[in-house]
Formats: sequence, structure tokens, C-alpha cells
Amino acid sequence: MSKKKKLMAETELASAEIIHPAEDPKLRLLNVSYIYSKGTPFEMKALDSVSLDIHRGKLTGIIGHTGSGKSTMVQLFNGLTTPTSGKVLLDGEDIWAKPKEIGKIRFRVGLVMQYPEYQLFEETVSADIAFGPKNMGLSGEEIIERVNEAASFVGLPQNLMDQSPFDLSGGQKRRVAIAGIMAMRPEVLVLDEPAAGLDPQGRRAIFSGIKRYNRETGCTVIIVSHSMEDMAEFCDDVVVMAHSKVLMAGSRDEIFSHAEKLEEVGLDIPQITRLALMLEKEGITFPESLYTVGYATEAFAALFDLGEGGGV
Amino acid sequence: MKGFALGQYYPADSVIHRLDPRMKVIAAILYIVASFLCKNFFAFVLLVVSALFLTLVSKIPLKILLRSIRALIFIMIFTAVINIFWFTEPDAEPLLAWKFIKIYRGGLFNALFILVRILAMVIGTSIFLTYTTSPIALTDAIEHLLRPLAKIKVPVHEFAMMMTIALRFIPTIVEETDKIMSAQKARGADFTTGSLMSRAKALIPVIIPLFASAFRRAGELATAMECRCYHGGEGRTKLRILRYHVRDFVALFVIFLFVGGIIAINIFGAKYGWVYTM
Amino acid sequence: MPLIDIKNLSYAYREEEGEPISVLKGIDLSINEGEYVVILGHNGSGKSTLAKLMNMVVDDYEFAQGQILVDGIDVLSEEITDDDVLNLRKTVGMVFQNPDNQLVATIVEEDVAFGPENLGIPHPELRERVDRALETVGMSRYAHHEPHRLSGGQKQRVAIAGIIAMMPRVMIFDESTAMLDPIGRREVIETLEMLNREKGITVISITHYMDEAARADRVIVLDDGKILLDGTPAEVFAHKEKLRAAGLELPQCTALCYELMAKGLKLEGPFNTPEQCAEALTRAYRRREG
Repeated sequence: MSKKKKLMAETELASAEIIHPAEDPKLRLLNVSYIYSKGTPFEMKALDSVSLDIHRGKLTGIIGHTGSGKSTMVQLFNGLTTPTSGKVLLDGEDIWAKPKEIGKIRFRVGLVMQYPEYQLFEETVSADIAFGPKNMGLSGEEIIERVNEAASFVGLPQNLMDQSPFDLSGGQKRRVAIAGIMAMRPEVLVLDEPAAGLDPQGRRAIFSGIKRYNRETGCTVIIVSHSMEDMAEFCDDVVVMAHSKVLMAGSRDEIFSHAEKLEEVGLDIPQITRLALMLEKEGITFPESLYTVGYATEAFAALFDLGEGGGV
Repeated sequence: MKGFALGQYYPADSVIHRLDPRMKVIAAILYIVASFLCKNFFAFVLLVVSALFLTLVSKIPLKILLRSIRALIFIMIFTAVINIFWFTEPDAEPLLAWKFIKIYRGGLFNALFILVRILAMVIGTSIFLTYTTSPIALTDAIEHLLRPLAKIKVPVHEFAMMMTIALRFIPTIVEETDKIMSAQKARGADFTTGSLMSRAKALIPVIIPLFASAFRRAGELATAMECRCYHGGEGRTKLRILRYHVRDFVALFVIFLFVGGIIAINIFGAKYGWVYTM
Repeated sequence: MPLIDIKNLSYAYREEEGEPISVLKGIDLSINEGEYVVILGHNGSGKSTLAKLMNMVVDDYEFAQGQILVDGIDVLSEEITDDDVLNLRKTVGMVFQNPDNQLVATIVEEDVAFGPENLGIPHPELRERVDRALETVGMSRYAHHEPHRLSGGQKQRVAIAGIIAMMPRVMIFDESTAMLDPIGRREVIETLEMLNREKGITVISITHYMDEAARADRVIVLDDGKILLDGTPAEVFAHKEKLRAAGLELPQCTALCYELMAKGLKLEGPFNTPEQCAEALTRAYRRREG
């Protein structure tokens, strides 16, 4: 309870209005700004006093254009970059309270960067997945257990574990890289564009693996992605970034009911949502916002009074 | 790393910026030769004046120019000090004598000359080459100047192509290094603490992916170049045409005048016995 | 005569040891001048290899069988000369996936000039081609920029300009949008469609994005080294199960329309794009309302 009090005190102190506030957030950004190359001609504000809560145990999607500040944000979560001003709170504690121990934060907030397959370096897949746990100083048995667990979450078959990661296909390499972070059993798993460049099958496999990880471990997961359709399907909460600020944040229902606002900032809304907007102009309305094919099929079936007897 | 810029090219609009890069390479060489020719006090005065003149004309801020000098300051002081102590003048009275250390007037002057010489060389080459000429223009100039060597089977074109590709990819690879380091840090890699040995070992997770990626890039680039009909330097034309202008010949004339001036001062100096003063 | 004519093409490659791995298994395909063709397939379906064979940039021809005729040039012939290869690459330009790994020069306009320089195009034509190519892709403003400071979409447009400057008749886009963000993707797709519609360049786009396929004249689906489907987008999208088996997914709206039809709703196609689906659904709604 004292933790919560402290958190509230901190927030009051910063007099920040938190977007999408939670009573006991896993992560909280308090008035966070980040400026690139400060004092050079290339100076650029990547984040502009952002205050935001990431809800405990949820799968949160962060969307926005390249340069909207979302990639900077994820690197702030695990202390890879230091905010120019403001605070990053993990379980209510400032992650930069003891700068020397920032390494510990990185074990608690695992970050999978973009195109993570390019960071593989070990001789075998299992050795590469074990790199993080080894750096944590875990025992051999524990490492083996964690490696196997992580491999099963991302769907890596056992027979690949002793192969060189360099011999795998692109999609498999990606899974190895993600498993490498999962094996550290972070409290928060952050993934920057985990499915970029993969084909539909590979994309689905990665997203469902991540979702399963979130549901089974209860670990807070944050995904950064351009793909609205994937976000609409897999996330609980959505944060929309634009021009170095949070444009909006909330449950995916809330966010996708503001589809026009998303389109205004030039983001790709899911095709289905676009369809619903077009139909709305024709006077055909739906009680709820549509963003996945499953929901939409039900909604249209209701609209047209289609029975279940029609077959699939 | 966002603001990473290769080389020290300082964009400005000066006469020197506008000179043909080939002429600037020649000018830089002549300037170095001239600074070595200086034999007496007055020749060095001319050298200092010329360096000041170049700085003024090139419109490079003094602050930026001093940066390239700062990098060499240790070497400059070191050579100067060595010269002070090493110099012996059998007939002259030392200015200072303490045990085996004897400092002569000539030694001081020699040290000063060497300082001026290094300074002038650094200023001359950085003004003619690095600050006012983009790396790509420099590559072009070197390719042109070395072209006669292609006749004796020196791979001049290939060398220039390599330079171009290196210049193109250095920023990309620097950025990539940054990214891989961050990625490994996120997995708990520690690059900053521990013994030298353990720090070197910590770099393995960076170096291996970096090499793998460089090879992949090289392969893809080679394919892309093939697709764009690259087949060596034979029969190639070039978008950028280097053309000498009147100003280039004027510049060359001025440089020759300067070298001539230094030679003349040397000759006069020898005749009247000038060394450190009149 | 079709511009590209492929007959019974098979291809395999060999890793250091072991049996050759088969990638293409008997492809028959002809593409006419001016077509806009999308080749779909999951990773490893052989689509990239097919593209690379058309431009003779695979590493090893040991296990290449069949015939590829590009504008009369017999690509797999033993007697192909260096001039033929140059002509082939002049006819068929290729844009690759990673925008970073196909730009050679440190200045945008010099990179665009790279191809024509290799072809020995003299001045002033060289200059004209470069300027025109940059204008076509809308990158004239960036002629003197450094490529590494551009966005992914911009880099890819520079790469496209570099190919246009060689004045090819066919352009192959080998997953050229896969590494781009939505804005970059849109830039590239608009550019390639403009090249097809306005400049009459034959476009072959290799992708796994179904919404890109929906906009093409013709869609070819590759699976396991064979052509699974070949037809207009509407024809191909009608085979939902086959597509799923090939690891592909219908665009959301198309999937919705087929789902509703399966449930007994009468809809008239095509359902390739959200606009078409909206139209079909509106019509059905109005009909019901009477």
C-alpha cells in the first residue's frame, strides 16, 4: 500500500495528467521527454512530456508512424535510453533511482528490438537463447529449463535447438531472438515490430505465441507495430502515438471507436473498420465498432438476419 | 549516433570550396612540400602568413579548425620538446645548462620551426582536403589523378568504387553497431565494466552479428549492382564531370608563386646567412 | 509473343553437402508487355528465386532446367553472351527488399546515375535520364541528399529511380515493400502502379500482402515451387481454402464477403477492395430494404 501512496505522491509532484490511468500500473511514464542529439544541428524532440500508464498483465499495443516517438518510448521502458526529463516508474519505483543497477531493470523489462534476428551470434540456437539467462547468473539447470520453456512459447521444435541459428529461415531466426528475451522471464516483455517482414503465416504464429505467453505467464506485454489489423486482433489496450505525444490510449474498443481520428493522423485502420466507416456514410450503422473479421461477420449476420444454418 | 556525419566536410561557400577537387589535391601536396622547404625565419613567417590567409579565405570557423589541431597537440609538443633537448651547437654558449641538459637558442628556434611546420601542414591539408572537399569529390579526384596508372594495370577504378561503397556504408554500419549493442545490452551484456580481457570478450556478441550482417549486405549489394549492369570500369560514363575553371589555374598560379617565394627567401637567406633572424 | 515466356522451369540448389534442394518444380508462365502481375506466396515458396532467374542473378545454374525467354533472350542457354546478359538486365530491372543494400553512391543523384553510367550513356542524355527518373518518383528535391538520411520509402523510391533511369520494359519488385512502414509502402505501391499505368512498364510485384495483390491485373500464387493459382484477383480470391493452405490470408473485407455468402447472403462481386465490398454490401442492404 505504501508503494501506491508513494506512486500517488510522485504523480502529484509531477502534476501530470496521466493518459489511460491505472490504479496500480506496471509501468508509468511521468512527464517524460526525450531529445535526440541535443545541442547539435540534428536536435530532435522524440518524446514531448508524455505521461502514460501501462496496465499490469495486459497486452498493450503501441501504434504510430515512424518518427512518432514509439521506438524511443520502448527503449525508455527498459533503461536503454535515459529520459531527458521526467521519470519512468516500474512498479512505482523510478528505474533510474540507482543508475548503476540499470542492468537489473533490463532483466525485469525485456526488450526485443526490431529485426532481432540480426543479433544472434552463438553457435547453437539453445546457446543463443541462453545468453540472457546466463548473464543473469542463473544455474545451469535453471537455464536449460527456461530455454526450453521459451522455445515452446515461440513454437521452436526441439530438433532445431542444436543447429546454428545462421542456418535457420528468417521466421525461425526471429523466433529464436524472441525466445532469447522470454527466457529471461521478464516481468514486462516489450517487442518492437515483432512480425515485420514476415509472411501472414509467420506473423500469425509470432502474435499467437506472444498472446499465449501473456495469458499463461500473466506477464505484461507491450507490442509496437504498424499493423493495425494485428493490433486489433491481439491487443487488450492500444496506445496511439503521433508527433512525439500520446494521441490517445485506452482499451481497443475505445480506440477503434475513434477510427476517424486514427485516419486523420494518417494511420492505417483495419480494412474492416474502413468498410464500416464507408457503410456508415451510406446510412448503415452498427451498435459496436468493428475491427476484426470475426466480430464483423457476427454483426453483418445480425444485420441481414442470417441464421446459423447457412453453414460456414 | 543520429547526427553521425562522415569526415569533417564543412559546407560553406568559399573560393576554396569551389575549386576543382583535383586541383585541391595538387595544392595540398605542393603546400606540404613548401612547408618542408622552409629553411629560415622569414620563410616560416611566409608560411604562417599563408596559413592565416587560407583560414580566412576558406571561411572555416577557427573553432572547427582548432579541433583538427587539438587531435595532434600531443605529437606536436612531443616533437618540439625532443628538439629542444636534442639540439647541440658546438660553438655556441647554451642558454641553460643543468647537469647533462643543455638548451641552446638554436634548439628553441628549431622546436618553434617544427611546430609551425606541423601546424601549417595540418591547416593546409585540412583546408584543402577534408574541410572544403566532400569525401566523394575527393574519391573522384583521386581516381582522375591516378587514371594514368590504370594503363599499367593498377586497379584505379576498383579502388575508387571500393572507396565509394565504404563511404556509403560506414554510416549504415555505425548505426547497426549501435543497434546490436543495444540489443545485447537488453540481454544483459555489459560493455563497460570488468577487466580489459572481459570487456574484449563482451564484444563478441556484437562483432559476430556485425560481420554476419556486413557479409549479407555485401552479397545483396553485389546482386543489386549486377542487376544494374555493373561490369567493371570499362565503358562506364560518369554523371559528375570534373572541369577545370579559370579560378583553378589562378589558384595553381598563386600556389606556385608561394612555393617560389619560399625558395627565393631560402636562396637569399643562404646568401646573407639568415637562419633565425636577419 | 509474350515479353516473358517461361516453360517447364525447374530449379534447385545445393548446400555444401547433400541432395540438391528443389525450389521450383515445373513452372509455365507467360507475361505480356504492359501487364501488372502480382506473385504471391509465403516465404520459401520459390517466388524470389523465380524473379532472380528472370534477371540471371542466382548464384548457381547447375540445377536450372527448362526455358526462360525474356524478349527473345534465352536466359538458360549455354551460349548466352555477356552482351545478352547486359541486354537482359537492361530490359528487366529489379528492386529488392532491403532499401539500404541496393544504393551504391553517397549522393542520391549519383546513385540514380549508377545504372546508366554502367551502360555507358553519354552526356547530356545521362543527366536528362537521371533528372527525369528522379522526377518520376517524386524525389527531385532530394537529388543532392545522402541516402542514409532518407526514410525507408524514400530510399526505395531512389532505388526505383535508379532502375527507371536504365529505361527497362519490365520491373520486378522483389518484396520491395516488406521492410517499409505503411507510409513507405503506400509510396512504393503508388509509384509502381504509376509506372505501369502511365509509363506502360510491365510490373511484376512479388509480395505476401494480399491488399497489394487486390490491385493488380493478374495474380499468380506460388506454393511449394508450383503455380497454384493464376488469374484476376477476383478469380484467385475465390479460392479461399487453397490460399489458406498456401499460407496466405484473404484481405479482411474480401474474407468477410465470402463468409457472409457462405451464410446465405446474396452478394455480387468483385470483392477485391474495401470499396468494392462496401458497394456490394450497400446494394444488398438496399435490396433488402426494398
